[in-house]
Amino acid sequence: MSPIILNVILHATLQTLEMVFASTAFSVLVGLPLAVFMIVTGPNGLYRLPIIGRLVGIIVDALRAIPFIILLVVLIPVTRFIAGTSLGTEAAIVPLSIAGIPYFARLAEVSLREVDMGLVDAVKAMGGTRLTIIRSVLIPEALPSLIGSLTVTLITMVSASAMAGAIGAGGLGDLAIRYGYQRFNTTVMMDVVIVLIIMVFIIQMVGNSLTRWLRH
Amino acid sequence: MKAPILESRHVTHRFGGQAALKNISFSIEKGEVVGVIGRSGAGKSTLLRFLCALETPEEGQILLDGIDLTKQPENRLIEIRRHIGLVFQHFNLLTSRTVASNIALPLQIAGRPRREQQERVNELLELVGLAGFGEKYPSQLSGGQKQRVGIARALAANPTLLLCDEATSALDPESTTSILNLLTDINRKLGLTIIIITHEMDVVRRFARRILALDHGKLIEDGTLIDFLSDGGQKKTLQPLLADIRPKLPNDVAQQMCETDSPGAAIIMRVVHSGEGVMPPFFGALAQRFTLDAALLQGGVTTISGQPVGDMIVSLRGERRDEAVEFVKELVKSMEVLGYVPHHP
Repeated sequence: MSPIILNVILHATLQTLEMVFASTAFSVLVGLPLAVFMIVTGPNGLYRLPIIGRLVGIIVDALRAIPFIILLVVLIPVTRFIAGTSLGTEAAIVPLSIAGIPYFARLAEVSLREVDMGLVDAVKAMGGTRLTIIRSVLIPEALPSLIGSLTVTLITMVSASAMAGAIGAGGLGDLAIRYGYQRFNTTVMMDVVIVLIIMVFIIQMVGNSLTRWLRH
Repeated sequence: MKAPILESRHVTHRFGGQAALKNISFSIEKGEVVGVIGRSGAGKSTLLRFLCALETPEEGQILLDGIDLTKQPENRLIEIRRHIGLVFQHFNLLTSRTVASNIALPLQIAGRPRREQQERVNELLELVGLAGFGEKYPSQLSGGQKQRVGIARALAANPTLLLCDEATSALDPESTTSILNLLTDINRKLGLTIIIITHEMDVVRRFARRILALDHGKLIEDGTLIDFLSDGGQKKTLQPLLADIRPKLPNDVAQQMCETDSPGAAIIMRVVHSGEGVMPPFFGALAQRFTLDAALLQGGVTTISGQPVGDMIVSLRGERRDEAVEFVKELVKSMEVLGYVPHHP
């Protein structure tokens, strides 16, 4: 493999990593509060706001219903507004995050729902406020499971970022399509696939061991 | 009479039109140990949620230290809950926190300084016999140890009242004994008022001085177990609950027994006695004075909340049987005729 190709692959890998981690960070930053909101406003929740709670749920599901490749195109004006351009790695972070937020929100909601309601009761009976319950019961108790959700989201973002490559986001997906597919360069194609596989393996491995460590 | 620490006045509550609690009234004084007993569905858990201010009944009042819990706003209730310790059947310890950190949680909620939290946690670990376990996680402990942590946590904020919800029901017999001993100890050392909610009469027998019996949402009895045992079986509603801890009639006797007396028949009686001398040595006396066949069919002396109580089923047969029955009646606290076994020559 020529040093030039190696350099191109390295560059694309860094772009992919940037997209994956930045969009996942936004997904967690916005998705986790959304998930908590859906849990605490749900039936038997800490706050009884069933209508607003359901509304948020509907928006989350609507966003999840749109296939990512379509979302990419639909969101171009939004992307342009936020990032100043619809092209490049930074711009791709916008649609990736918007797809990632509802995805992580639903996964995190499941994780939070698994928390034993007896623990919520226990802290309530101790005189804990609702904020205390969220901070010291819901999130810490769901943390191992939330890390699992985070791992799944990261891996989903890896494949979504490859799709974003198709509309000029750069990264490994872009490389595979332009060099591998359009120029019939099978070596580059294979190299990209191997890099992606290794990336996913590492994410999964780190996620698993983190979950195990947190479960005590 | 001292002012009651906890009082329930005409508490009534319905779930979907069905009455879960009907007109429950009782009052508990400081330092009392009370067992609330009833089968599942009797309304115990509903009552507990009212007593610990987690929920409010539709009608009636709950007074803790003279404050009506049913009339407080939520932010006041949050404050009040900090003075009630709650121990759960399934421990409900936070798995993400160490033992020490679990015990410190109520103190953290109350906003006590970190130094004080640490000192109190060490004190409590010592009290419940778990010194040196502070840095472990709940998943590393046995059921009995987890419940000790649960008790320590409930005691952390110096509650005025300790409520135990089926605190021993998930434990093996050995751990049950040790937890009950711990609770008895805490009551004695700290003078803390303890209410234990359970479906097991045996727990109440070993632990509580006073019993509140619930059945189908109604408070059917309020008194001491000794009173219930020695009332001669008049309180029919309580008998199924008491059956767990009472001597049972042996099967062969039960089969032969009939309700009517006949010449030469043996009389089968349940005899209860407590207090001084526990069981007067009447078998010997009976045999000598009335030349009878006196036999102990089942039972003996048990301990009820620290007091020895004799509860037994005896059989008397002989010429002067009725005289002997009168003699026994004078001697013991209560006596109940169960039936007669006819004489087969």
